[in-house]
Amino acid sequence: MSAGVALASLASLAPAGPSIPLQFADALIEFLSPTTLVDVILRGIAEASLYVMIAAGLTLVFGLMGVLNFAHGSLTMLGAYLGGLVLVVAVAQSTGGVGRLLAFGVAVVVAFGALAALGGGIEVGLVRPIYDRPPLYQILLTFGVTLVLDELARIVVLFYGLQPTTVWQDVLGTKPVVLAESVGAAGVSVSGLELFQILFGVATVVGVHLFLTRTRYGLYVRAGGEDSEMLSALGVDVNRVFTVVFALGTGIAGAAGVLLAWDPSWGASVPLAAETLLPAFVVVIVGGLGTFRGTVVAALIVGLVDSSMTWWFQNFVDFTGLPEMVVFLVLVITLIVKPQGLYGVSEVGGH
Amino acid sequence: MVLAFALYPGVYALLADSGLSTEVVAVLPRIETLVVVLFFGLFAMSFDFISGYTGYLSFGHAAFYGTGAYVVALGANGKLPALGPETPFMLLLVLAGVAAAVLALAIGSVSFRLSGVYFAMITLGFSQVLYVFVRDWDFVSSAPRDGVAVTGTLEGFRIGVPGVDGLNVAIGQLTGDSIEGLFGFINLSPTEVSFYAIGAVVLVCYLAMQRLVHSPFGRTLIAIRENEERARAIGYNTYAYKLGAFVASGFFAGIAGALFVGFRRSVTPENGFYFLVAGDALLVSIIGGFGTLAGPLYGELFDASVREFLSKEGGGGGLLPYLRANVGDATLATELYNGLTVAEAIDTFLNGHAALYVGLLFVLFVLYVPNGLLGTARDRMDGTLAKAVPRRVRRWFDG
Amino acid sequence: MSSDAGPDSNSDASVDPSQDTGESAADQSSGDGPSSEERDEPLLSLSGVETYYGDSHVLEGVDLDVYEGEVVALMGRNGVGKTTTLRSVLQLTPPREGSVRYRGEELVGRDTHEVAARGLGWIPEDRRMFGQLTVEENVRVAVPDADDADAALELAFETFPDLRERREAKAGDLSGGQQQMLSIARGLVGDNDLLLVDEPSEGLAPLIVEAVAEALTEAASDTTMLLVEQNLPLALDVADRFYVLDHGTVVDEGDTDAVSAEGERLRRYLSA
Repeated sequence: MSAGVALASLASLAPAGPSIPLQFADALIEFLSPTTLVDVILRGIAEASLYVMIAAGLTLVFGLMGVLNFAHGSLTMLGAYLGGLVLVVAVAQSTGGVGRLLAFGVAVVVAFGALAALGGGIEVGLVRPIYDRPPLYQILLTFGVTLVLDELARIVVLFYGLQPTTVWQDVLGTKPVVLAESVGAAGVSVSGLELFQILFGVATVVGVHLFLTRTRYGLYVRAGGEDSEMLSALGVDVNRVFTVVFALGTGIAGAAGVLLAWDPSWGASVPLAAETLLPAFVVVIVGGLGTFRGTVVAALIVGLVDSSMTWWFQNFVDFTGLPEMVVFLVLVITLIVKPQGLYGVSEVGGH
Repeated sequence: MVLAFALYPGVYALLADSGLSTEVVAVLPRIETLVVVLFFGLFAMSFDFISGYTGYLSFGHAAFYGTGAYVVALGANGKLPALGPETPFMLLLVLAGVAAAVLALAIGSVSFRLSGVYFAMITLGFSQVLYVFVRDWDFVSSAPRDGVAVTGTLEGFRIGVPGVDGLNVAIGQLTGDSIEGLFGFINLSPTEVSFYAIGAVVLVCYLAMQRLVHSPFGRTLIAIRENEERARAIGYNTYAYKLGAFVASGFFAGIAGALFVGFRRSVTPENGFYFLVAGDALLVSIIGGFGTLAGPLYGELFDASVREFLSKEGGGGGLLPYLRANVGDATLATELYNGLTVAEAIDTFLNGHAALYVGLLFVLFVLYVPNGLLGTARDRMDGTLAKAVPRRVRRWFDG
Repeated sequence: MSSDAGPDSNSDASVDPSQDTGESAADQSSGDGPSSEERDEPLLSLSGVETYYGDSHVLEGVDLDVYEGEVVALMGRNGVGKTTTLRSVLQLTPPREGSVRYRGEELVGRDTHEVAARGLGWIPEDRRMFGQLTVEENVRVAVPDADDADAALELAFETFPDLRERREAKAGDLSGGQQQMLSIARGLVGDNDLLLVDEPSEGLAPLIVEAVAEALTEAASDTTMLLVEQNLPLALDVADRFYVLDHGTVVDEGDTDAVSAEGERLRRYLSA
């Protein structure tokens, strides 16, 4: 099926009639109106915040070790369940908004800690023995880890009487009322959850940026990403840096999972693993594998593309998959036009 | 190997009637499962043909499998231009392969400018674009998310030599032919007929790929995997070789997808186009032997057997029904821990969770047996199994 | 080792037994009494080192000693294993056979970072800058204790004033000469007792070579150095002793005072 056929059929999906150009123009004018644009952009930034959270760990690990961690989505999924568990246990019907936010903080800490420990274990036990093999084997190994983690999660979730394929609703119920409400001003409205996600995403970006630029470990991470052999010859225990960064990356994945567990359009479920893995891939590849700055910019691009395509789908194009399809098209086109991504260094990752 | 597959239904039937019947039914896969092994094994082979032989991980290989499957499903429903619902299956089969090959040509021509992780990602991207497209395109069926079922014809798809009516049989569990009194004593159920018919197509495809692998073309592919720089330096147009292999691989993946719909008579975006379908092919290729053509088939056989053994329904025998029938309720009701009985433990940790054990095994294989079952056996035996086993046996007798 | 023998006889007298026992070279020389003071115990001692890259056998039994305070040049044609010798010392390419001792301690089997932490600095052939990091960050990475970073930066910039001006520039944007200076600076600030320097003058303009040579000579005044150098006048100028490597083994050695850059003795090993 060529792109031409696909486009032709896309066109045929739009409302029929001779006035398609006219309708398109109408829609375009509406899309470009300030309130719509601000709305779409805010939504896009909120989505970008989620994307940057699920991709940050992936890009840190790839940047330093050159390992594309296929288990990253599964680790996010585990974080969603773990954080969800903390929330469900800690939050009672009567708990107030502040209490719920505090519980969320605890959930993030727990998920980060547990996933960081698991990630460290995976790095030491499984990934380290195969650093010297071709990158193919690292993909294979982490893919295998995904199968095992997903199935384990399925077993545990079933054991406690939950459906692994559907969203864990109880967690959504622990969300403070504030986050479910919309804040509006001058015709633009944004939900509390979106603002919360933006705050969380910005905090993560700032945190990772400070870690990379202001700490000694961050210096090692950036140096090791360029030349880990030289770094070890300068007396730095590169293996330990690898383990710490892998743990940090999976910890961030876990924290991202907790954030997603409160979002009704994601939610804690086993398929969340694959649902987050694919956008995370898109973001790190578009940004340029291993560059944190690229990941942030790409998350913004993908988030904005996603939110504007969602608008177009709701208002003009009658094709449910439009946002998702365009996101993958962004990946494909980036790889064709600029294979190393927006900020990538061409030597990384076996070009 | 071909012989072993050919004799399997007879042996299975024989054993299932014997005194060991319950054990046999519990442990051995059903014929129906074996049909799946055949066509999915073919898909895994086609995946291995490109990824195992050239070292380029085609993570979007499901696109070709899905294309083959959808071509047959849509063709049989009369939705393909210029083809009515009465189009012969053999023609659809070839069309499915050709459509997948054309798609592979399009995808490959841009993707092979990249390598390593980037190649895996761009093929994954392409297949996901198609997956989303097919999932939400209401042309394919009224509920595209649930996939397409063959409704245009109620007859079974016929596999055989075109034009010779006697050499055609219909396949499918409900729609297939059954054969009675062949050579006077062989009776075959529709599933068994499907097994042989699909097996014949898979065999032809396998031999064709085998031919390619052992030709100068195949040797060049291996040279590319070992050292692409050198292959290019010697003067090979490695791009053309890789693309050629990709197109061939896409063709056979399309055939596999077509056989899948031919037998199952329906396909969904999830079991056709989703990237995890390629993940399954990767899994069985690694277990069976990456970079060996027959390996993925063995891997798939292993995977399917384990899955059936630990299946939830217990339709083909399996662990829990066997234990229920033979161990006695007292044992099964024994409490292990905090009210958890043996039966519940099996139900919780084993049944329906074959993926866990296959996944663990996969990880162990990647770490310790990277060449897979067949590859390692070949390394040990020094040559292909078919040649090495007789040689070993002879030496054993002589020595 | 008898006291009147020059380093020349080293290879015959003490190296062969040391291949078996490893420690005998050090024992012998320390037990021998009135040899010159710095000959007591080598700072670095390689004996019978055999190193492979995959299947190719690069070092076929290298024996050499470096004593505290001296500069030893390692010479030889391209591809005879000079760089591999340095990599074998650092355990970047661990030897399969033989022993590498530093202050009497076996290094084979240790991780590279452990070796480096014992005071061995590497100034590699192709400079190996962290190109995306600034000049300052490149220096900082090399300082073992973060508290010493400011003093280390001052030392680096005093040695190479050029670098001070480009402190915030990315190392990848520096000129070749500046990169070489930064690479040497990285070795100097690392609190190292032994510097392994690989082809510091390669690919540099003559004027820059002079600056590099000056910096090395200055560094040599308080650091021990094992120097791989193709530039014969430079090597003879900086080094006290030399070893010549050919086909993965030491074929000649001596005092640099005893040979001249024009002399035949070294030329036949070094010309292609």
